[in-house]
Amino acid sequence: MKKYVLLLLLSFVSVSSALASVTIKGRVVDAENQEPLIGATVIVPEKALEAAGAGKRNVNAMTDVDGNFTLTVPDGVASIECRYVGYAPITVELKGDLDHVVIPMTAATTELSEVVVTGYQKIEKRKLTAAIQTVSVNDNMLGSAMSIDQALAGQVAGLSSVASTGAPGASPKIRIRGTASLNGTQEPLWVLDGIPLEGTTLPTMEDLKDIDEIYSTSIAGINPADIETITVLKDAAATAIYGARAANGVIVITTKTGKTGAPKVNFSTRITYSPKADIDRLNLLNSNEKVDLELELLGSDYTYRENKGQVARIIAAAGETAAYKSGGWGALSANTQAQINRLRSINTDWNDILFRNTVSQEYNLSVAGGNDKATYYTSVGYTDEQGNVVGVEANRLNVTAKATYRLSRKLRVGASLFANRRVNKSNLTDADGFTNPVYYSRRANPYQTPFNEDGSYNYDIDIQGREDSDLMFNIFEERDGTSYELETNSLTAIFDGEFRFNDYFKAVTQLGMQIDNSNKEEIADKETYAMRKDIDRTTLTGTSFLPDGGKKTTSTSTQRQVTWKLQGEYSQRFADIHEVELMAGSEIRKTWYESVSSTGYGYDRKTLQTKPVIYPNEDWADDYPLYAETYTENAFASFYATGSYSLLGRYTVGGSVRMDGSDMFGVAKKYRFLPLYSVSGLWRISDEPFMDSAEWLNNLALRVSYGIQGNIDKNTSSYVMGDYNNVTILPGNTEEIISVTTPPNSRLRWEKTKTFSTGVDFGVLNNAINLSVDFYNRNGSDLIAARMLPLETGYVQMLVNWASMRNTGVEVTIATRNIHTPNFMWTTNFNFAWNDNKVLREEIPSNQTTPGREGYPVGALFAIKSAGLDDEGYPLFYNKQGEKVTATELLKLNAAGASTLTAEEQRNLYSYIGSTDPLFSGGLMNTFTYKNWELSLNFIFNLKSFVRCSPSYSPTNYDRGMNSNRDILNRWTPTNTNTTFPRLMNSSDRPAEYSQYSEFTLYSMLDTWVKRNDHVRLQNLRLAYTLPSEISKKASMERVTIALEARNLFVFGADYTNYLDPETMGNEFAQPIPKSFSFNLNVTF
Amino acid sequence: MANKIFNIAAISLLAVGTASCDNFLDIQPVGRVIITTAEEYRKMLTEAYSIVPEDRGLATFRSDEFVLNSSIQQEDLNSYLDIWLWDDVSPESTTATFNWRSYYQVLYEANYLIESKDKITEGTKEEIDQLVGEAYMLRAYMHFLLVNLYGEPYTALADPYASKAVPLKLDTDPYNVLSRNTVGEIYDQIISDMNSAEAYLNVEQWDTGYNYRFNTISVDALRSRVYLYMGRWDESLAASRRVLDVKSTLSDISTELPNRYNSVENIVALEQVMTSYYHRAGRVSSELFNSYDAAGDLRRVYYYNAGVNVSLNKGGSSEYSCSFRVGEIYLNAAEAALESSAGADAVQAARNYVLAVMKARYTASYYTAREAAVNAMSRDELREEIYAERRRELAFEGHRWFDLRRTTRPELTKTYRGTTYTLEHNDSRYTVRIPADAIEANPNLAN
Repeated sequence: MKKYVLLLLLSFVSVSSALASVTIKGRVVDAENQEPLIGATVIVPEKALEAAGAGKRNVNAMTDVDGNFTLTVPDGVASIECRYVGYAPITVELKGDLDHVVIPMTAATTELSEVVVTGYQKIEKRKLTAAIQTVSVNDNMLGSAMSIDQALAGQVAGLSSVASTGAPGASPKIRIRGTASLNGTQEPLWVLDGIPLEGTTLPTMEDLKDIDEIYSTSIAGINPADIETITVLKDAAATAIYGARAANGVIVITTKTGKTGAPKVNFSTRITYSPKADIDRLNLLNSNEKVDLELELLGSDYTYRENKGQVARIIAAAGETAAYKSGGWGALSANTQAQINRLRSINTDWNDILFRNTVSQEYNLSVAGGNDKATYYTSVGYTDEQGNVVGVEANRLNVTAKATYRLSRKLRVGASLFANRRVNKSNLTDADGFTNPVYYSRRANPYQTPFNEDGSYNYDIDIQGREDSDLMFNIFEERDGTSYELETNSLTAIFDGEFRFNDYFKAVTQLGMQIDNSNKEEIADKETYAMRKDIDRTTLTGTSFLPDGGKKTTSTSTQRQVTWKLQGEYSQRFADIHEVELMAGSEIRKTWYESVSSTGYGYDRKTLQTKPVIYPNEDWADDYPLYAETYTENAFASFYATGSYSLLGRYTVGGSVRMDGSDMFGVAKKYRFLPLYSVSGLWRISDEPFMDSAEWLNNLALRVSYGIQGNIDKNTSSYVMGDYNNVTILPGNTEEIISVTTPPNSRLRWEKTKTFSTGVDFGVLNNAINLSVDFYNRNGSDLIAARMLPLETGYVQMLVNWASMRNTGVEVTIATRNIHTPNFMWTTNFNFAWNDNKVLREEIPSNQTTPGREGYPVGALFAIKSAGLDDEGYPLFYNKQGEKVTATELLKLNAAGASTLTAEEQRNLYSYIGSTDPLFSGGLMNTFTYKNWELSLNFIFNLKSFVRCSPSYSPTNYDRGMNSNRDILNRWTPTNTNTTFPRLMNSSDRPAEYSQYSEFTLYSMLDTWVKRNDHVRLQNLRLAYTLPSEISKKASMERVTIALEARNLFVFGADYTNYLDPETMGNEFAQPIPKSFSFNLNVTF
Repeated sequence: MANKIFNIAAISLLAVGTASCDNFLDIQPVGRVIITTAEEYRKMLTEAYSIVPEDRGLATFRSDEFVLNSSIQQEDLNSYLDIWLWDDVSPESTTATFNWRSYYQVLYEANYLIESKDKITEGTKEEIDQLVGEAYMLRAYMHFLLVNLYGEPYTALADPYASKAVPLKLDTDPYNVLSRNTVGEIYDQIISDMNSAEAYLNVEQWDTGYNYRFNTISVDALRSRVYLYMGRWDESLAASRRVLDVKSTLSDISTELPNRYNSVENIVALEQVMTSYYHRAGRVSSELFNSYDAAGDLRRVYYYNAGVNVSLNKGGSSEYSCSFRVGEIYLNAAEAALESSAGADAVQAARNYVLAVMKARYTASYYTAREAAVNAMSRDELREEIYAERRRELAFEGHRWFDLRRTTRPELTKTYRGTTYTLEHNDSRYTVRIPADAIEANPNLAN
């Protein structure tokens, strides 16, 4: 009986399989580039099975590494379906050759299909648990920006970008989600195609010298035209994998790659015109006002630098100073009066002659293409930007070559080379800043002429110091006779390989090398102020020991890095219900930095020769060194892992962990490694069955993440450490010394930041409205910052764990398609960030005289309340009781003008005004498309931020020999008492107050000088026209776009009187942010 | 199978990675070091010596040795004119400042050495003791310079324990916010540090080139000066005598200037005093120049270059580094003997000390004349003569300003561009103001 049954079953099975099934073989590929799709599901729909009368409920197969599949389907099934993440499902009719079915799949158009590149991984957006935003880079976004960092302002919610100067090639300050750490760099980490870049740190820009320092970060070397997308990683879930360096966020640059298909040639050019800035806003005195002022001051009891200025000089030369002081204008001889009046008629427009209108150019050419074995992308780009200040310019030549090869079914390798050469030129500036044309144009007297009537240089002797300068300064001579040039050659090479063991496992490796070699040349000819100053300084007995001629300083620095990553990845889907992704890897990195600087004296540009320096003794050799060298080497090793699990495609949890080790010298080995981790989760609500009815809802997802990041200062040790140096104390005996540069600090701990982040993504009406709202809370504890030390410790500052701080923020990104008709489309992108920073706890050192920031933002500005002037024109202040008091009463000054209040009492004098960091920032971009026309307007804004400006003039040290803004005219005088600007003080009247105003900071700490610098800027206005394809095709071109752009057309701001731009407010010597107009042509063949 | 390969590959990779990691991270940075051995401590102490401020030279501008006029370079006028004119209220921002932090930086390194004296490795006991002794001497000398710049003169105070000067820094704790100590407390500490130093120092004479370092004899040389500044005459005299017992030769001025670093007189050649910057920035006051007898005083020719503007030979480079030398000890001894309680013998002793200096500096005939005059002088006349000889002998060696302060604090006048500036008798400006940046960093200093 049993046998029969068995036989029967067997025959049934064999019959059904023999008679009622078909085997289909085929391949699933990407419709666009014919790349195989691995892991796509080929399935017979249940309905088709029913229709065919088959009993089976589940017939499916998955594609292998070559995209191939084999599927046996019951006879009668007419069609199969193919599904793949990120692609639109496709139904294929079964007909024709069933052994070679090719299923081309098209990438789905919804937002969720996209893949986000984190630098370590590609994550499908549908499984993205972290706060990550991607911006695609195009002409519209870039405008006339020379480097990518300049184009990021207003593009990403939570990324603030503030320009510090308008000089060509200057990088803006970028902050992601507020200030996280106060020590070391606050710049985000920049990653190029997976390799973190070195050399991205900006100078601090704290003093004038820095503004004139030319520098070129490695970001400035990347050609924006090569960039496909910029991805900004904002929360701990996204950045934890980058370790300690990512505490300030990560910006990932993904460059363009070739696509399978015929070669595409793209050419683009941009010609930009930038007019010189109008400096009327600075309110500088004209000749008439300046002459009147000098006359008035000479007659007053204000004696500071009394002999300076042309008026005093004319009167003194005529021997009429005493007569003028007692008798005034009428006591001057007619000749003297005529000479003085002649000054009034000269009005040199320094702005006009020192600045220029410029034309800058940019050209890019790229060729990209490939087949199923290899793809390539090559490009060459040249850009040249001229600064509004004559002599200031930057240019860059880029060559990029990228290729990927599919060597076998399992192995894929890629190589990229990014080479660039960039040159920055500027004027040589000395420590006084006079040779900086921006500075000089604001300080030179309007009655001063640059040239004498015979065309020779007219030297300005008012420039510095108590006495008339005998060093003969002329800005034009200086500009012609000095040069300052930075030339950087940079090569970044990235090799990567991917080996796929099977459908689930793969190993990925990446090797990146970066070499930035820069060469800085500073030349001053013999006949320049810069050189005369050196000669003057080195003149001991009548003659200088420096040889006759100019000088040239060459500094060469090389920054190198090698990074090697090796990681294994596992990804598997189980029965369409469970998805698991795991990745683990290690990374080692080594960096080298070396610099050599040498100086030659007696230099002549024509002969390129220098002369030997005969030093009178060894001390002078130390002061005028001919050679200096530095070298540092660092190594890092890291291990990292990340994983995610998704259930039903709706619930995803993820986590990552990283251990960072580095070669911290003088630190116990146990501190070498710091584990950082994050956990995160995602709930895609819109995919829940109960949401099926809501057809209007395309996407609704909730993200949550939590992570810990940390940082330690590498230069602080618990031991007394020193640097080697050489010194010659007595003649002929040079000894090695060890100088202790920082005091040891055994109490220094890791600083830690805990980040909680949550967000909602929302897309409705066929994605006509896409909204993302993110909330975050970042708690930093044991934050490391420099503390000002009493100088009696022997040091100026020391790093301590001083505070804990919280950044709370909300970021909103809205993309809307407002109108969409066949001919007309209007889209709006709006991003908005609110970041509230609060210092939760701060240890105030007992010697600190300015208030602690506990309870206030880290960028808090405190000021002393001003209460007008007293009846002698001296400032009055409100004390804490609200009474009007003088400086003497407020600070209890001693005879030397120093406050005798305790540090704590001094702290209590201040009131909180506001924060330097904007509370709100963001951008608004509107794009209108009508047929072939496109108009876009891009506004950016920074609101609720404050800046401390420097006072218009010092009441004690106002130098009448130089120009200033008109506030000086409104100062208190016996006849002008209704004003808030104090009198010019005389050291004998109230000596203690005088010392306080001249030696200490009281006057600049007044609330009068703290100003709002909110602003809204029309960053970019662009009108583009794309030729109709019939026309361009005739010229055998695929696409031709012509655009006109205006950048920085106008800015609305809070009151920024006396400054050129709210963004550079507080620093009147920065180059203004230029306006520009561009013509842009983009052709694809 | 593939799984296995992958797993093996991954595991072995991780293993290799972890094992080699510590080696990979063991980078010995070039040019940096943790100070542990005696040799390294010596190098740190050498650094401390090298940053000792040259404020005794800067104080020359404040005294009556230099004249500033229009022949001086612009830059130098910007730096030193307001110091020369005692303008502490409204100095130009370019004006040079007396040091503050550098003293305390030296003190930090000296204190660190003293604190870690039992932890120093790889050195003989003598080497380590010598280091500790020098550290105590540096500590004493830095406090001595500080109290004489920023504190009121000890000899002018009724109660030295009531007048605040500068903070004493005796540890390396960076968290310690100090207040000013009194002049009396500081001098007590200086004396105590000199006593400590004496117990450790063992090098009697350093080789030329290393003789900027403190040696055994330097303790008494400093004591001689410190007690003199305190008006503790007997102790000063005793210390001077102990120095002169060991080292008493005065240099032959026609072959070597006495303040040369390798002169026979040199005891410690630490400070340059008149650095090349200070050296060129002033002209020798004609009043000072004329105080050297034109025919009989050899120093007039060897110290100076006569001309429209008299310039200085003894200074301007490390060649003329001199902190303590025999000539000063003779003059300290003369003054201390005169003021001491020993009576008539003491006056004669004072005469002998000052005559010893004169003999070395005058022509034979001029000396004979002056010898008779000195021997005939009353006590008060002799005091004036010792002061005058001290001014001449130690001119431009950083003594004058301190000597003016501790003795009579006379009225001084200077003229610049037709305007006369006066430092009154007993003027408060005989004490230099604590720099504003120091007060900003520690407001306790204003009280």
